[in-house]
Amino acid sequence: MAVDPQMPILIVDDYKTMLRIIRNLLKQLGFDNVDEATDGEAAFAKLKNKPYALVISDWNMEPMTGYELLKQVRADDGLRATPFIMVTAESKTENVIAAKQAGVNNYIVKPFNAETLKAKMRSVIGEF
Amino acid sequence: MKDELGSHLRGLTDHLRARTAPPGLAEVAAVTEVLLGTMQAYFRSLDTELYREFRNLSDYIARARDEIAELRPGDLQTERLPRAGRELEAIVRSTEEATNRIMSAAEAIMAADHADPEAFRALVADRCMAIFEACSFQDITGQRITKVVETLTYIEQRVGRLKDALGAEFDESVPVDSREGDARLLNGPALEGEGVAQDEVDRLLDEPPAAPAGKASQADIDAMFG
Repeated sequence: MAVDPQMPILIVDDYKTMLRIIRNLLKQLGFDNVDEATDGEAAFAKLKNKPYALVISDWNMEPMTGYELLKQVRADDGLRATPFIMVTAESKTENVIAAKQAGVNNYIVKPFNAETLKAKMRSVIGEF
Repeated sequence: MKDELGSHLRGLTDHLRARTAPPGLAEVAAVTEVLLGTMQAYFRSLDTELYREFRNLSDYIARARDEIAELRPGDLQTERLPRAGRELEAIVRSTEEATNRIMSAAEAIMAADHADPEAFRALVADRCMAIFEACSFQDITGQRITKVVETLTYIEQRVGRLKDALGAEFDESVPVDSREGDARLLNGPALEGEGVAQDEVDRLLDEPPAAPAGKASQADIDAMFG
């Protein structure tokens, strides 16, 4: 099934600059329907109010981290199937393993480029 | 010294006990004289030992005081560290401003109308100039970082000298991470050589999951073999 370029995507990062970078990269990839949140708590509230086809989240945020958000999403009956990509500077093996065990769909290490984001999105939501 | 005093006193008391007649004044005076002489020698030696100990302690405190004065904690607390903090805040601010200016320029170019090539060229040239200007932050931040590094080096050298002056044994082992739970996973950006690259992340994600503790189902076993 073809990916809908109008699918809603939620990007989560506490740095407004990073939100702007990801938003621009997604726009270049053809995805315009993007919402933002600046921590896990705000993101979870948005997820409970609107269905998203993809979450792209940073890890290190306060008060709720992206890792906690991932665990909450996977523990929620209505949200557990939501594709989730972690985009983070946390690059230790134990972080990758913890995210994998928590049910992350893909994991991107910062700094990253458009090609990496595109490849990981394709592996999670399909070709576009 | 204690033993010497004891043996003198024991000798005298034995001598007095052996007598049948009560001791005369001369004998008591002799005992007292021996007792005093022995006690003085004992206390003199105690004085010397104590004096040496106090002298060492005084030297130690003087050295520590000099090194702490050299560290200039007042200057560190009121001037150097707050200044370093302000420099770092300025770095964060200027890099953020520069990034936003560069992104705004790039967004303007991407959103520009190509219908009028002359106007488009002028806009691209103007926005590219804005990008070059924004990149000048690198020079300023470089200078600010140098100042912060100088402060850190200053502290490192003074603390090292203080440690040498005190001559104390310090625990050089790696401090234990006292964080618990998920907090242990928050380490921030890795330096070169630390952490894993994207290729390694991809490999870890592609690895079949480890067998769960206890009895594994056929599905778990299948998953382990990819």
